[in-house]
Amino acid sequence: MAPPPHRHLLLLLLPLLLLAAAVTLTGADDLVAELQSLRARSPSGVIHLTDTSVTRFVSAPSPRRPYSVLVFFDASSLHSKPDLHLPQLRSEFALLSASFLAHNPSSGDLFFADIEFAESQHSFHQFGVNSLPHVRLVRPEHDRLAGSEQMDQSHFARLADSMSEFVESRTGLEVGPIVRPPLLSHNQIILLVILFLISIPFMIKRIMEGETLLHDRRVWMAGALFVYFFSVSGGMYGIIRHTPMFLTDRSDPNKLVFFYQGSGMQLGAEGFAVGFLYTLVGLMIAAVTHLVVKVESLQTQRFAMLVVMVIGWWAVRKVIYLDNWKTGYSIHTFWPSSWR
Amino acid sequence: MAEPEVSSAAAGGGGRLRNAFGGVLCAFALLLIGVLAFSIRLFSVIKYESVIHEFDPYFNFRVTQFLSKNGIYEFWNWFDDRTWYPLGRVIGGTVYPGLTLTAGTIWWLLNSLNIPLSVETVCVFTAPIFSANASWATYLLTKEAKGTGAGLMAAAILAMVPSYISRSVAGSYDNEAVAIFALIFTFYLYVKTLNTGSLFYATLNALSYFYMVCSWGGYTFIINLIPMHVLLCIVTGRYSSRLYIAYAPLVILGTLLAALVPVVGFNAVMTSEHFASFLVFIILHVVALVYYIKGLLTPRLFKVAMTLVISVGLAVCFAVVAILVALVASSPTKGWSGRSLSLLDPTYASKYIPIIASVSEHQPPTWPSYFMDINVLAFLIPAGIISCFLPLSDASSFMVLYLVTAVYFSGVMVRLMLVLAPAACILSGIALSEVFGVLTRSMKTHLSKLFDDSPAAPKSGDSSPESSSSSVNTDSTKSENRTEKTETAPKEKPSKKNRKKKEVAESVPVKPKKEKRLLVLPFELSVMGILLLIVLGGFYVVHCVWAAAEAYSAPSIVLTSRSRDGMHVFDDFREAYAWLSHNTDVDDKVASWWDYGYQTTAMANRTVIVDNNTWNNTHIATVGTAMSSPEKAAWEIFNSLDVKYILVVFGGLVGYPSDDINKFLWMVRIGGGVFPHIKEPDYLRDGQYRVDAQATPTMLNCLMYKLCYYRFVETDGKGFDKVRGYEIGKKHFKLTHFEEVFTTHHWMVRIYKLKPQRNRVRGKLKKLKSNAKTSPALAAGRKKNPWQ
Repeated sequence: MAPPPHRHLLLLLLPLLLLAAAVTLTGADDLVAELQSLRARSPSGVIHLTDTSVTRFVSAPSPRRPYSVLVFFDASSLHSKPDLHLPQLRSEFALLSASFLAHNPSSGDLFFADIEFAESQHSFHQFGVNSLPHVRLVRPEHDRLAGSEQMDQSHFARLADSMSEFVESRTGLEVGPIVRPPLLSHNQIILLVILFLISIPFMIKRIMEGETLLHDRRVWMAGALFVYFFSVSGGMYGIIRHTPMFLTDRSDPNKLVFFYQGSGMQLGAEGFAVGFLYTLVGLMIAAVTHLVVKVESLQTQRFAMLVVMVIGWWAVRKVIYLDNWKTGYSIHTFWPSSWR
Repeated sequence: MAEPEVSSAAAGGGGRLRNAFGGVLCAFALLLIGVLAFSIRLFSVIKYESVIHEFDPYFNFRVTQFLSKNGIYEFWNWFDDRTWYPLGRVIGGTVYPGLTLTAGTIWWLLNSLNIPLSVETVCVFTAPIFSANASWATYLLTKEAKGTGAGLMAAAILAMVPSYISRSVAGSYDNEAVAIFALIFTFYLYVKTLNTGSLFYATLNALSYFYMVCSWGGYTFIINLIPMHVLLCIVTGRYSSRLYIAYAPLVILGTLLAALVPVVGFNAVMTSEHFASFLVFIILHVVALVYYIKGLLTPRLFKVAMTLVISVGLAVCFAVVAILVALVASSPTKGWSGRSLSLLDPTYASKYIPIIASVSEHQPPTWPSYFMDINVLAFLIPAGIISCFLPLSDASSFMVLYLVTAVYFSGVMVRLMLVLAPAACILSGIALSEVFGVLTRSMKTHLSKLFDDSPAAPKSGDSSPESSSSSVNTDSTKSENRTEKTETAPKEKPSKKNRKKKEVAESVPVKPKKEKRLLVLPFELSVMGILLLIVLGGFYVVHCVWAAAEAYSAPSIVLTSRSRDGMHVFDDFREAYAWLSHNTDVDDKVASWWDYGYQTTAMANRTVIVDNNTWNNTHIATVGTAMSSPEKAAWEIFNSLDVKYILVVFGGLVGYPSDDINKFLWMVRIGGGVFPHIKEPDYLRDGQYRVDAQATPTMLNCLMYKLCYYRFVETDGKGFDKVRGYEIGKKHFKLTHFEEVFTTHHWMVRIYKLKPQRNRVRGKLKKLKSNAKTSPALAAGRKKNPWQ
């Protein structure tokens, strides 16, 4: 007795469900199409979202949203803060989006969007974002906005490349190689090449006459000394590892840390300080041998040599002290055991 | 060479005696420097024993053994079936043979003189011997630029520079040991040719370059640095026929000779590293033609011809450049090797080639690295640079260029500190010798003045220094002569610059009288300065001895540790290799991570699957996959490779940090790179490799974990890993497909044997019983095996 009504109910429910599914599906298709058209309007493919469009596209329940959205939280008021790197990250984000678009031209699986704090405070609140820089990935299975996945600091480190790794690992979509715009456009390069070609004969003429900057040995000397100074101070380390000039002390934010203990890492400022000491001593020795000797006044000579010796002594001591402090080595002598 | 003769002729008999005495003293000093260079590198033998170090030297040693046993032709055609099983490796065509041939020749020579040294002894002491050679070569090179004093100083400094010691202690039988000597000697011959313009030296230079190409891949530094110098000379208006003689034969002969080395072959003309030399070769010819025509024509006619020549020359240049660009663009890596590219663009490696960036030798150095490796020389080099510019000659400009390029490259890669070391020594030698020269000269002048003052006080000073102090004057005139010489030496260049210089030179004879009196410093401060410099030098010596003794002498095959109850020696590696060679069949295959490949073939004489010559990534990935797979899958991979024994290095008991568990991430990464079913996240907990209770099940079930920690809990009851600093995650387990056959004294090396295949009849019966259960598992296992 009980089954028949149930069966009726089921029979009733089935078309209803089908209808609902169809509606949501077409709704989803609409949303995707809408997003795609929005994307087409933006040059890099990043869609600008506001509070209303967030509710429409992102916080819609998951069956209506078969796509992921990677949201970049931006605040133009904070662009001026250099340590946040917001403008740089924003442009990298745009690069990522453009690269994805170039690799998957008509994809409806992943959209890139940004939200501006000034106009969409509500959305910031919904996502639970209270610090920048912040990037969120909202995947289809995320029901609540606050539950979506946050890209952590390590993925900002190598800019677009590491962001694309994050996207690829979380969504399974392929971003493809990051397409960076060349530094100079095609026409500019051609122009430069032509200018260069034209200037070659003139340059050769000048060189043959021997009256260029190239013939001034002081230029070469300064260049050589600079390269030496830069390399010895570990400047290359700073460039390759992107180390900062100094750190702020964790325990006391007002204090700056210039010297890092441990030989595997160095800060920019400490490298240049020591490199300066290296170069300074050498320059002073050269000054004594080539400059002070030519001075006629004995008093000046005395004074200059004294200054050189005192500063040299101090600089060498300082470097030895710093080196021992940083590396923890203790250099000792070896004497015959009978001497002890 | 010419200068002393000239001055001796002027000074007469006394001067000749002085020179002879100076020559003997100089030879004696060089001998002592050689002894110093040799003996400072013996700490490793004294503190440990006469043994080959590390990994690569074992391969070189094995090749040398083969060479001494079978002769050069066999060596040239040697196909080694003991490594990269089942592929093997053509040794003759893939090694730089310079080191091996050198040591082989020394061994052969000694034996034919009836000095019966073993090959191993010769190999151990090759590097110290060549360090002595290198310091003599440094003397020659520096002498060409700045005279004998600077040469001796530079040689003494190079004899003990820590950067070079790190690669050339006794036992460190590697390519760099002979290559640095070859590098310096090639530079010496180039500068010598440049100074003399002799074709004899130019030919020697090409031969020396050939030796360098035989010895080390770093020869590309020479073939780029010398063209750079030639270009620099041309651009700054220093072209001369000597420059042409120094460069053109080197390119032609050198390239032909380089192509004879099998490992280089056609790379000598095909890769971008060599293109610079050809480009400069063409430019040099164009410039030579211009100068030739200039000599033939009148100035007005020349101007007309000039435009013609330039346009023709440019056309030829562009044609060549276009061809080069096309060639370069057609190759996938743009013709550059990854390492070279990362030198040109320092951020290249960190962006694109993680495997290069991951090697510790390829990291950029921090400032303490410079202080460790060249120590106080870092303070002296700027003075040396300035000395080289005052006055600037072809030779001294070469020194500066060498230093600047080397210091830049060393800033990108800490490994290239080795190339910087000779340049640093040369320039510091020049700087020190100049300072000492000035300070001692002023001391001497003051002293002689003092002595002269007592008999005739008013006569001193500026009246007639020539007659007043004979000893000082011969000395100072000599030095004066020398500076004039160096200044007038590169005189023949017909450019505006030189005309100007000539005017200066003409005015020189007036100058000396004034300068001779002036070029002195106050006496007491000169004494102090010398004392300070001696203290500085003393610190350098102390540092170098300390570095040689403490930092750079560990052979890493024998380890020591110091604790309260004395020194412990860990000789587990050789124990394990000896066990292998005594207890296994000659044709058994041993699998291990690639680090231990060279040592296994050399010391145990067993066939290995992969070794330190990491030429086949897939093969390495296979071993990595096996190590990161569960037991059964690993057994199948190893069985398909005919492996009988597996060797793992485990440091958890004694706290040896560079063991296989710490290298495991590379096994997973490299394995996963080729066989995608190995996924790195499966092994990671919170982004870290852990083997404690929080480790992932995949990690705890992989072969590497099991082989390392099998029965580990029996040692202390808790399974505490001293390297990782925690208790391991899975303590009690049994091995199903492997059996332990040997574990060394300190558990540092553990050797396992693959269990034989199960009896087929029993398997069949079982299969009948539970057919449905086992077959899918088998199929799945088979699918995972990348070899099927």
